[in-house]
Amino acid sequence: MNLKEILSSLFTYTPDNKDTYNFNLVEDFNTKQYPDSNLGNKSNEQTKVFPSLTVNTDYLKSKYNLLINSDIIFRDFVLNARGKQYHALLVFIDGMINTKIMNEFILEPLMMRNRNNLFDNSQNRVISEAVANNITVRKVKKFNLPNYISSCLVPQNAIKQVSTFEEAISGINSGNCALFVDTLDVVFDIEVKGFNQRGIEKPSNEIVIKGPHEAFVENIRTNTSLIRRFVNNEHLVIENLNVGNITKTKCGVCYVSGIANEDLIAEVKFRMNNLDVDSLLSAGQLEQLITDSSNLNAPQLISTERPDKAASYLLDGRVIILVNGSPYAIITPGILSDFLSSPDDKNQKAIFSNFTKFIRLIAAFITLLLPGLYIAITSFHQEILPTELLFSILASRANVPFPIIFELLVLELSFELIREAGLRVPSPIGPTIGIVGALVMGQAAVSAGIVSPILIIIVAITGTASFAIPDYAFGFHLRVYRFVFIFLGYLCGFLGIALGLFAYMIATCDSKSFGVPYTVGISPFERIKGTSYYLPAIEKREYRSGFLNSKKETKQGHISMKWKRT
Amino acid sequence: MLKNLSRKIFIVILIILLLLAFSKSYATLNIDNLSVIVAMGIDISDKNHLQISFQFTNPSSVSESGTSEQAPSIIYSVDASSISSGINLINTYIGKSVNLSHCKVIAFSEEIASQGISDEIYTLINDTQIRPSTNIVISKTSARYYLEHSKPLFENLITKYYEVFSASGSYTGFTANATIGDFFNSLICQSCEPFAILGGVTNSSTESTGATNSENDTTTKSNASSLFGQSTAENTGLAVFKEDVLVGELNSIETLCFSIMRNQVDGFLISVPNPNKANSYIDLHVTPLTSPKVTVDILNGTPYIRVNCRFTGRIYSMEDNADYLNNDMLNQISNSCNSYLESILTDYMYKTSKALNSDINGFGKTARGNFLTLNDFYDYHWSEKYKDSFFEVSIDSSIRSSSLLTES
Amino acid sequence: METSKITAAEAISIILGIFVAYTLVALPRSMLETTKTATLINLIYVGVIALFITFLIYKLLIKFPGNDIVDIAEYLGGKTLKTFIGIVFIFYFLFSSSILLRNFCECLKIVYYPMTSLVFIILTFIITICITLRHRFSSIAKVNLLIIPLVIISIMFLFIANIKNFSLDNIFPIFGDGVFNTFVTGLGNLGSFGGITLLYFLPPYLKEPQKMKKVYLTSVILGIVYFLLCVSIILFMFISLMYTNQIMPLYSAARYIEFGNFFQRLESIFLLIWILQMICYLSIVTKLSISIFKKITNIRDEKPLILVFGLLIFAISLLPKNYAISKFIEDYIYHYMVIIISIFLGISLLILAYFKKRKKKELNANVEKSI
Repeated sequence: MNLKEILSSLFTYTPDNKDTYNFNLVEDFNTKQYPDSNLGNKSNEQTKVFPSLTVNTDYLKSKYNLLINSDIIFRDFVLNARGKQYHALLVFIDGMINTKIMNEFILEPLMMRNRNNLFDNSQNRVISEAVANNITVRKVKKFNLPNYISSCLVPQNAIKQVSTFEEAISGINSGNCALFVDTLDVVFDIEVKGFNQRGIEKPSNEIVIKGPHEAFVENIRTNTSLIRRFVNNEHLVIENLNVGNITKTKCGVCYVSGIANEDLIAEVKFRMNNLDVDSLLSAGQLEQLITDSSNLNAPQLISTERPDKAASYLLDGRVIILVNGSPYAIITPGILSDFLSSPDDKNQKAIFSNFTKFIRLIAAFITLLLPGLYIAITSFHQEILPTELLFSILASRANVPFPIIFELLVLELSFELIREAGLRVPSPIGPTIGIVGALVMGQAAVSAGIVSPILIIIVAITGTASFAIPDYAFGFHLRVYRFVFIFLGYLCGFLGIALGLFAYMIATCDSKSFGVPYTVGISPFERIKGTSYYLPAIEKREYRSGFLNSKKETKQGHISMKWKRT
Repeated sequence: MLKNLSRKIFIVILIILLLLAFSKSYATLNIDNLSVIVAMGIDISDKNHLQISFQFTNPSSVSESGTSEQAPSIIYSVDASSISSGINLINTYIGKSVNLSHCKVIAFSEEIASQGISDEIYTLINDTQIRPSTNIVISKTSARYYLEHSKPLFENLITKYYEVFSASGSYTGFTANATIGDFFNSLICQSCEPFAILGGVTNSSTESTGATNSENDTTTKSNASSLFGQSTAENTGLAVFKEDVLVGELNSIETLCFSIMRNQVDGFLISVPNPNKANSYIDLHVTPLTSPKVTVDILNGTPYIRVNCRFTGRIYSMEDNADYLNNDMLNQISNSCNSYLESILTDYMYKTSKALNSDINGFGKTARGNFLTLNDFYDYHWSEKYKDSFFEVSIDSSIRSSSLLTES
Repeated sequence: METSKITAAEAISIILGIFVAYTLVALPRSMLETTKTATLINLIYVGVIALFITFLIYKLLIKFPGNDIVDIAEYLGGKTLKTFIGIVFIFYFLFSSSILLRNFCECLKIVYYPMTSLVFIILTFIITICITLRHRFSSIAKVNLLIIPLVIISIMFLFIANIKNFSLDNIFPIFGDGVFNTFVTGLGNLGSFGGITLLYFLPPYLKEPQKMKKVYLTSVILGIVYFLLCVSIILFMFISLMYTNQIMPLYSAARYIEFGNFFQRLESIFLLIWILQMICYLSIVTKLSISIFKKITNIRDEKPLILVFGLLIFAISLLPKNYAISKFIEDYIYHYMVIIISIFLGISLLILAYFKKRKKKELNANVEKSI
């Protein structure tokens, strides 16, 4: 490379012609993209089960979106009854039923020919016969196939005959199986609920007080069934996709078909189908692979281990991705305020959850800015400290040999060290690390005069605040950027903090998550339905998140508590 | 590749440049390099122009498990030609850069104040570190002596004392919260005159000369008070300026009038003559209801100033057989109170105009309403006409009851 | 780009941001210098005129939906006029913002960093612009919408916290330096409404063009109210302001705030908020200048331009030799620039274009009639 090339490579302008990928979910939040779907509207309309099995099958297939739905099983077989054969269909949801019961007590008796069943008489059965005066009086029971099946063929404890699709579907959704038999206009709702997977455990990373205590597990089928039990509606679609050229990891894309925005679903599938990776081993990897580019590395997709959280977002119109082998679900899209809200918020009265939300907001600011502000104030702007406070800081620093920046960095880094060590060691030792780190080291450092007690307080407050952030990834993001602000505060005080904050805000406002502006709903002047950071009272939570432009705008009636009006 | 590398190098250079540039400010502003001044005193010295005293406190005794010993205050004095050079000298002397942003009090000696202090005030107000809310004290003794005796009696930290002492004016009225910002504003304003707290040092013995000067407790002022006890600084009364020159002092009751006129006092105690008994007094606790209404008219070229104040009050003292719940009795006391307050306020105002010729109440601001343009007002020369003013004070006070729990 | 459209609230906050940025440095003082104690009256009088001008601009702009003044200049006088108008406005934006930056940094230097060279303080701003301008205009507008309420709250807080220091007599004598000075010479205060310039450039960015009238009038009315707030703080607090030269009057007012013994010396926090506003203003103005430049030169890629414009601002802000010159520019030349460029030049251009359009329409009508 000669000098000319070096110079030209340094100073010539090469146009940057590649267009950045730019997907917008909604251009204008106030115009509706779709007409309102009638999903969930109360109607007493009931569809009777048809006598023909093929008609029933088609009806159910359309109801359950069978072409794309991955966990709905339609099992065709031939049923033997009294030597006659009927076509029959079992409908159930994979993962919600007990396969053993299913095999041994439903399919086996129905399909096997047993002796009783061989009796080839479709005629009436004579129960008793009495002959008197040459007149034969026969007590006859008419042959009734439905009763016969339920009383003789299915040795299952709970079986119910229903005659409408609505009842049948609600049974299926809750984990029963439905038996359709050709020529019959009734359905058998047979209880086969059960799991044969590893037990579901309490969530360990997202703790709530009033919510349910169940967590996702590694098996995707169990996870889908967990979601299904919460959503409990046939419009929940779980599509299968395989990601990874070698591993072909099974991923489930879940959404409620009457609510979720079609463009969003298409975009999620588009991104997942266009991944050229050899392997996909966890939800965390997938999250990074499909996220929009972000300069800030703030999390833009929510990952949760709670099925109830996933279900509530599903019903909001978002799309959930499950990855086989990973006990986390990814929720798309995620906006900034989602990372500061906990599933517990909706279980309490609005005033309490808004108070905690406010606390979390403060916690976020403290995590991000407090050490930076401390260094800025002590280095450049000591005049804003009250005189007594200044004196106590000065006094506490009297014996400290290090400059403040060094002291602060040492303490912040050792805090991160303790945190990381506490995570990595085997769990019985974990608390010990905390005690050793926090108490012994802190106390020793102060009494040795290496750090000042004020600084210990600053670092401790920052650390505590960072744990108040409900989302782990977001807390991590703030903790990392804290160091940037420490540096800026050290560099040029409030000026650096202000300029850094501005750049940070711009970058945050600029990023998008699946075509949704990341900071939507943050500004109080933006009126988008259902997207305020603070929760309204429960009777006013009328709208789904407006930025999604979902197919069904409202999630409860204008007057939700109708009992008050009657 | 190369471009990326060069960009990275450029960024690193930029950061280093900025670090270097800002580290200069860092070095002077970092709290480790600062020594905090809590008060400043300015005297005239024989050799040079000014003698400047700086009061520091040693903060390290503040902390360490809250020991209750008093933080010692350290006073350094330097002779310098100006305040800035004095600060420069003290910087070299103590080896740290002094910071004035926590300075609570600036004391001037009486001597320098009567020569004019506008240069010093301009210097101080132009300093970004000096707060406009810093109290300004004119000390009857030398400023250094005043600072030396400004010892907190009840606090460990001297700054706490400095923060609190000026606030006592709001419930006694015997001192006013005079700040350097107000002083400066009044100094350059053409329709009002500056004022400052009058400070002094209490004599340690009873048989001092100062104590005999005061006839009763309402006419005390600093260095002439009936206080005795430990030798500490005291701040009673007010120093009155005309432009930047000290022209007179107000004693405590006049300061109270001043505080009433500026609406700085929340409530105060006065002794009014007992209407039913000659030569006896009743103590009243009086609270202003509204800020005083001032109207200024220009009659035949001289200002005619009318002041109307409204008060409410309660009786504090108790005596035998006095029926304080009697309507007539209360009315009589109200009238007595009215005439007493009217007389002291009128006296006070004529003192400011005739004797001192200094409009510290800022009547001139109200007087501007009589003029349409600023030039008309300037042509009137308010500060010269003020001494010809007529005053009419009307007091409207109503004594509600006694504030006692028991009825005598 | 579709995504750089802004909502009505964001547009209002952008226009307001221009008004606000100037008050943070010296605008209240220079207004008070012109009309002394009559400033409040003068401001209402000038505000009504500004409102009328805004309405006129709106009426004319609405005839050319979705076009900014550069497009209209092209319609009127072809490419030459387009280039000329573009350059005039770029010059105006860059010049006024660099001088403002310079003066703001002078204040920062005095208050925060007495030992740091001015060049580096300005440099920090320039670096930040170079980083932030890579993002979309709508993002900057969104951040502006977050910052503006903060600034206005800070000013209101300043007003409320200083009420105890106010003396309402300070508005007397009511006509200051005389009636002529208040109502004729005082017209110079029209130059404070620099935000009006932005009105010419917003139409292509508006997400809801039908709300244009509301946006324009609301922002100017809010601007007038804001000016009244600022000026009354200064006027009621410092009667003496006319005789002294405080470089940042609002900052001086902030120094007087005190709540008890603990909450004192809060002015650094005010300055922190104001720095945010200043950098926001700079970003908006530079982004607009870049977009004008892109329009007149048909350059697509704006990344290299960011650096060029950043360096231009840096250079211009270092041009004045001392603070006296930059203060003179901000107090006087800026006012005349606003009046000449953004009021006279802009409106006359719009009126000419309007007549041309009407003539064309008549011509077309005649042609149709004859056919």
